[in-house]
Amino acid sequence: MTVTEAPHDVVEAAAVPAASAPPTGLAALVGSGDPRTIGRLFVGTSLLFLLMAGVVGILVGFERVDLSGFEVVDGDVARQLFTLQSIAAVFLGVLPLVIGLATAVVPLQVGASTVAFPRASAAAYWTFLASGGVVLAAYALDGGPFGADGEAVALFVAAFIALLVALAVATVSVVTTVLTLRAPGMTLRRTPLFSWSMVVGGTVWLLTLPVLAAVLLLVYVDLLYGQQFLGGSDGVYDRIAWTFWQPTLYVVAVPALGIIADVVPVFARRRHHRHTAAMALIGLFGAMTFGAWAQIGFSVDGQSNPTDWLYDGVWIAVGFLAVVPVVGLLGLWAATLGRGEVRLGTPLILALFAGLLIGGGVVAGAVTVIEEADVLTTTWASGQELLVVAGTLVAGAAGLAFWAPKLYGKLLPDALVRLGATLLTLGAGVAAVTYGIAGLYNQPRSIALDATAGVSEIDTVEALNLAAGIGLTVAVAGALAVIAALLKPARRRAVADDPWDAHTLEWTTTSPPPIGNFATVPEVTSEAPLYDARYAGTTAGATGSTEAPA
Amino acid sequence: MAATSTDIEIFAGAPAAEPPRPRVLLVGSALASGAAAMVVLALVAVYTRMRADVIAGGERWLPEDVNIQLSPGNMGMVTLLMSAVTVAWAVYSLRNDDRVHAYLAFGLSILLGVAYIPTVVYGWQQFGVGVTSSTQALLIFTITGLHVAMAGAGLAFLAVMAFRALGGQLTGRGAEGANAAALYWYVTIAVYGVVWYAITITK
Repeated sequence: MTVTEAPHDVVEAAAVPAASAPPTGLAALVGSGDPRTIGRLFVGTSLLFLLMAGVVGILVGFERVDLSGFEVVDGDVARQLFTLQSIAAVFLGVLPLVIGLATAVVPLQVGASTVAFPRASAAAYWTFLASGGVVLAAYALDGGPFGADGEAVALFVAAFIALLVALAVATVSVVTTVLTLRAPGMTLRRTPLFSWSMVVGGTVWLLTLPVLAAVLLLVYVDLLYGQQFLGGSDGVYDRIAWTFWQPTLYVVAVPALGIIADVVPVFARRRHHRHTAAMALIGLFGAMTFGAWAQIGFSVDGQSNPTDWLYDGVWIAVGFLAVVPVVGLLGLWAATLGRGEVRLGTPLILALFAGLLIGGGVVAGAVTVIEEADVLTTTWASGQELLVVAGTLVAGAAGLAFWAPKLYGKLLPDALVRLGATLLTLGAGVAAVTYGIAGLYNQPRSIALDATAGVSEIDTVEALNLAAGIGLTVAVAGALAVIAALLKPARRRAVADDPWDAHTLEWTTTSPPPIGNFATVPEVTSEAPLYDARYAGTTAGATGSTEAPA
Repeated sequence: MAATSTDIEIFAGAPAAEPPRPRVLLVGSALASGAAAMVVLALVAVYTRMRADVIAGGERWLPEDVNIQLSPGNMGMVTLLMSAVTVAWAVYSLRNDDRVHAYLAFGLSILLGVAYIPTVVYGWQQFGVGVTSSTQALLIFTITGLHVAMAGAGLAFLAVMAFRALGGQLTGRGAEGANAAALYWYVTIAVYGVVWYAITITK
């Protein structure tokens, strides 16, 4: 008798039904519900949009070098570019950058296997990408605010509304993750500060972005039905502008404060000084950033734009009070660093840069509410906006450098990131200061067809504008260096799971994390469980373990 | 078929069952409901502010050719309030594993929700002017139209949950999806209450 015996492993392989090969390439990206993939897509795309916003800012900056006429671009184009730089920087740039970082990091921080609504997050990203592209296409078709092509302007408004919806959906997913999917024992008071800042900032975004969408819907209906009441394309920017001045402008910076607050204690090798107070200050700052009430109003005849809140009690109070939580947080970080053993790591340097820029931004914002200073409609406000946006961007870079092992499975090259962030900070700082001084000479914020109207010391202002243009160029070069650091291939040696000796839950898993994030999720008993285990020599912060999904 | 000892050995090496995802859909729906409400309420705020400014200037708010009838608005409000009761009934029935009443209540809720839409459209027909006639008309058409869209989204949400209930996924303690849809629907009704008062009642 002949016995034919197949090898054991062959028999086993035959018994298991052949699984379909996982998709690769573009199919893997498009079909992915993995929060890390979605987060990285958000981050990468937003950095490209930010780069474009920076280039537009440079064009606008150099356009102001000669105030007697339009040298770089045509007057109407210059007005559209002026609007594009802010819209792209905030809504295509820093907001999605922070959302992307949060989508990837927040589930890890709170011990969740994924975000609350992974498919919604993925849909939000693709909607963001498509609507962002259509926004830019509408500009190219002469359809931005002040554009001449009415249909393209309507297209811009519709795409912008879709963009806002996408950002809101992605925010719902992140905030819900923190509120419902925290690890056992992680009370809200023990939530890492970046995740907490996303709850605060995200909630305010969810109250603010729909208001902007609503007024844009009204504009859209008016544009479709004859442009009779709201000023046509010239009136569009009036409906958006309030998001670029205080207090609404600050809402983009709320998560930036959370990033800094997570980075500082790790590099100070001690707990965050008064963690609960930091949470309260972030919450207070977030509460003050709801500014949908401080926007340009409507009138029946479309001729007047009432702004009764301007230089009024609440607006002034918020302008000054917004400084308090930021200064308070800066004080807590100084105390944390002062009592610790500081390592001057790249994320810490970037976090400190970001703190200084945002602090400068809120102080400059306090000046804008002083009626006697009369700088709200000057380039002083442009400088303030630049400080807050650049501060948030640098905080985002700090977050990328800090969480790179979890996002990309590698450490970012220190030298390149430090160089980039330094250039970004210096360039933005120079541009902001020079714009601020030019604002004191009454240079208007928006690009007017007669740019010299009301400006005193025109030669000085033009020199300041040249310096601002150069500063913006340096800042964009810095942003390019940060992007290059992200694109640089990973070092050959594998990165450690916790290369920073960090404090929070995301560092208990591998770098990069597996599907499902954690094999086992420790039970959390403090806000810094790994710190407790490492520095206090106890396991008080993370005891036991709860089986998590693979 | 009873599990054999071999089956138990196989499952002993499997990862632990995924823990329940507590209130994820409910919390997400609450956040989305708040955002959706803000869209409509923002425009109601614009409406009331402009109205106050015009009246403070000693002028009449609504142009003379505008006709806002009470009946369609009131019918819409009553219809939505009835649907609030039936939605609560649906959730209550699901919690008590009373599937027959749950199906009946879901069906009635969706019927009432759909019935609300013609009341708005009838109001538009009776309005007397088009959207291009004045800023007031532009605002009223946009606000009420947006609320219809909000209600449409709520109806879709209710319908999905009703079908899931029909499929047996939302029974007893697993009725979170129905709770989430009900929450969104209550917010939709509350927002309509504000719209109804601002536009139909105070005009």
